[in-house]
Amino acid sequence: MNKEEITIFELEVLELLKNVMDPEIEINIVDLGLIYEVTYDGEKNINIEMTFSTPSCPLGETIISSVKEAIKQKHQDFIINIDIVFDPLWSTALVSEEGKKLLGL
Amino acid sequence: MSNLNSNNAPKASVVKPHFIFGSLALFMLSIMIIIADSNLLDSYFDNKIIAITHMAVLGWAVMIVFGALYQLVPVVFETSLYSERLAKFTFWLSGFSVLFLTYTFWIGAYTSLLIYASLLMFISLLLFIINIFLSYKNSKLKNISSRFVITAVFWLAITELIGTLIAFNFKYNFLSEIHLHYLKIHATIGLIGWFLLLIIGVSSILIPMFLVSHELNNKKLIYAYYFINSGLVALSINWFFIHQNSINILFWLSIVIGVLFFTSFVYDSYKKRMRKKLDIGMKPTMLAIISIILPIVLSLAITIGFGIEQTLIYRITTLYGFSIIFGFITTLILGQTYKTLPFVIWLDKYSNLVGKTKTPMPRELYSEKIANIHYYIYLFFILSMILGILFSEIWLIKIGSYLLLVVAILYNINVFKMIFHKVKIIEKNE
Repeated sequence: MNKEEITIFELEVLELLKNVMDPEIEINIVDLGLIYEVTYDGEKNINIEMTFSTPSCPLGETIISSVKEAIKQKHQDFIINIDIVFDPLWSTALVSEEGKKLLGL
Repeated sequence: MSNLNSNNAPKASVVKPHFIFGSLALFMLSIMIIIADSNLLDSYFDNKIIAITHMAVLGWAVMIVFGALYQLVPVVFETSLYSERLAKFTFWLSGFSVLFLTYTFWIGAYTSLLIYASLLMFISLLLFIINIFLSYKNSKLKNISSRFVITAVFWLAITELIGTLIAFNFKYNFLSEIHLHYLKIHATIGLIGWFLLLIIGVSSILIPMFLVSHELNNKKLIYAYYFINSGLVALSINWFFIHQNSINILFWLSIVIGVLFFTSFVYDSYKKRMRKKLDIGMKPTMLAIISIILPIVLSLAITIGFGIEQTLIYRITTLYGFSIIFGFITTLILGQTYKTLPFVIWLDKYSNLVGKTKTPMPRELYSEKIANIHYYIYLFFILSMILGILFSEIWLIKIGSYLLLVVAILYNINVFKMIFHKVKIIEKNE
């Protein structure tokens, strides 16, 4: 895979993650701004750096399972590494324009 | 990866029974008010009123609060509950104790059954307190919210100790003052020390989380903590040892300033919220926070007196208790049930299915229509009871008591709809 193909693949993964909803806010985690980075090494390893809207999010584990399942629906034999970070802390500034529309802003 | 809190969440079987008991207690409570409606206009030291108060506070509010708090320990303390088995045992013991205690008050068995009922209640609450304290001990997170919660649990222990002493005094008569004096301390510490501090601690995390608001001023919570607690400590010392009623207004002021700091924090959260539309969980919550102004005004009237005649002071005292238990606490619980129980059930039924199939959202596990209807009926109940108690109009209290029955039935329908929810798979992902 060349660089361009990797970028296309990463964007495709990001699209898949739009199927994962935050069950409380009912907005997908991409538009909510919870995904900080998606990287693909070209050899079936996907790394995701993400956060939660609050460090004490009671739905954290469920969201992580959803992220893995959403990707595995299409890429079953891939290894998915998820890194949860709180630096930077999630803020409302990270919500996409689409997300703001969904929140009624 | 950070330590995730849903790993720490207790099993649904720990939390669900509390909601079942609590919602049935609300139903029983509404029946008790229908039977004893005229007693609400008598002195607040009345068998039926005391029975109703304990069913409201222990059977309804405390049971739901226990269930919710077990679920929220991982959120507030960022650790797991110390013992789920102890929580289950505590549920059965406190459930029996509440019914026994309420029955004892209802029939006025102060010198016979009361010591046994209160002792059982004391033990069950003590088990809860131990469970929460040990959970807190394991917690690495010591912030202002968790400090509010653990201090509230400390005040619960004091409340329960005073309550048990009053119960024993009916039989052995060893206290120096009349019962009403200790009853006042018992009620004040219970409502402000336990309920208010707990609500502030939990709300300071949940309200910004549900409204999606950030960058809030936590200093307001710290001020609230010190003003409320110092006021309450000073008030208790004065009531127990100094007996200078004229200085109570200073302690009242300290508590009120603390409460205002908290309401200001909530207002900031509301102003900075990203979710503009309040759902059926948050509408009653915000209303409950606003309604806190009523007990503040009423308690000022009770503290200063303003030359109001004694019979009216009795009614204002009843109204003060009503405004905290129903205006504030019950309104809050009616809303927060829809922010807690659907997630408990949803996590229990769907956490293994998320991502694999399309699942309903937690909001879809109950009827929003029913929740909205009982919210508006509840507003009429509050209005009817306030006017009824204040102007001593029994027909308004009768209307109010039947409105509460309707609210209790609708609320129970929604709670049991969630409890008995069967897994639904909407469609398979392509």
